[in-house]
Amino acid sequence: MTSFHPGDRVRVRAAEKPGHVRAPDYLKGRSGWISSILGHFPNPEDLAYGLSGMPERTLYRVGFRQSGLWDGYEGPAGDRLYADVYEHWLEPEGEQ
Amino acid sequence: MSGVHDLGGSSGGPVDRSQHEVEDWERLADAINSALGGRGLQTTDQHRRAIESLPNYRDLGYYERWTAATEKLLVEKGILTSEEIDEKADEIERRWSGS
Amino acid sequence: MSDGHPHEKVRHERSPYAARIRAMEALLVEKGLLTEAEIQDRIAYMDSRSPANGAKLVARAWTDPEFKERLLSGAKSAAGELGLDATHEAELIVVENTPGTHNLIVCTLCSCYPRAVLGRPPDWYKSFEYRSRAVREPRAVMREFGFEPEEGVEVAVHDSTADARYMVLPMRPPGTEDMGEEELATLVTRDALIGVSVPKAPSRAG
Repeated sequence: MTSFHPGDRVRVRAAEKPGHVRAPDYLKGRSGWISSILGHFPNPEDLAYGLSGMPERTLYRVGFRQSGLWDGYEGPAGDRLYADVYEHWLEPEGEQ
Repeated sequence: MSGVHDLGGSSGGPVDRSQHEVEDWERLADAINSALGGRGLQTTDQHRRAIESLPNYRDLGYYERWTAATEKLLVEKGILTSEEIDEKADEIERRWSGS
Repeated sequence: MSDGHPHEKVRHERSPYAARIRAMEALLVEKGLLTEAEIQDRIAYMDSRSPANGAKLVARAWTDPEFKERLLSGAKSAAGELGLDATHEAELIVVENTPGTHNLIVCTLCSCYPRAVLGRPPDWYKSFEYRSRAVREPRAVMREFGFEPEEGVEVAVHDSTADARYMVLPMRPPGTEDMGEEELATLVTRDALIGVSVPKAPSRAG
């Protein structure tokens, strides 16, 4: 799995996954940037079922331009949104 | 296709800013969850998953969802049965209504 | 009753879930899995948490620039310095309002909130309307709370989608240069710590 660094352009995977998912739907398929690295944690999507959640996953703070998330967004171009996204939900922006 | 709990970006009306008085049973719901977590009997992630799986999620209030999810987990883990919870809840309701 | 929009049902009569949680309490205690004492301890813990804790952190940050840096880089231990036990939060992150940026906190997936510091979130924070709209139309939501950022200020929304909990460090209002920490704390409202509003202006004396 790719390791990201602050400033990297990333996209949230538009994957469907059954069960407990911590990547909200409104971010799927959206592009943004790595704002910071929050740490390494067991995967909560597995912990939710009593599994170990190992190996630990990197958690990233990802920034998105609001104008890129919503049609007709009300506000200036600099308005942004941050979400905490696990590495397995991210891919480099350029990737198909 | 997002889960019923995955609300970001959904349309919605004005935010109702009224505040209800927190009831003792709601304090208890908070405390039971916290205590079960402290004892390693359930985790935040398990509880979230249980809340998200409630078929009547949209019809329940916040602490109602918490309570329903706690019950679901306790039963799933074989710690309590639905029947004994039903029985005890009936007993309590009867006591409250003074019969 | 469905109008196509999700909204919270507000109950005015006692919920049937009240008896169910009491039943679970009784059974768990009977079976020796929990004790009444630890349940009461947890209730007391939550009841002791309130926005006043957040206000204290903010007032200290406003008057002590080095504390402010510690608050922004390691909020849990900074809270500990003021005797606030935030150890139950997985992570606490304080985001700073600046002349260029106004921050707003939401948890769209479930209503995560820095409870270990601020106590229980307000009902509106947990509402389907807030969870739905705060990410998509933060400025419209803030207007409903009577607040509009100044011209040129950008809005940054934080959706707490993992285990970090967020709190806003608002800007110190002008005209408060002579106020001490305790008085400054009284200007910091819960709504300002969430970001739907800003701290109160100092009241003019005389």
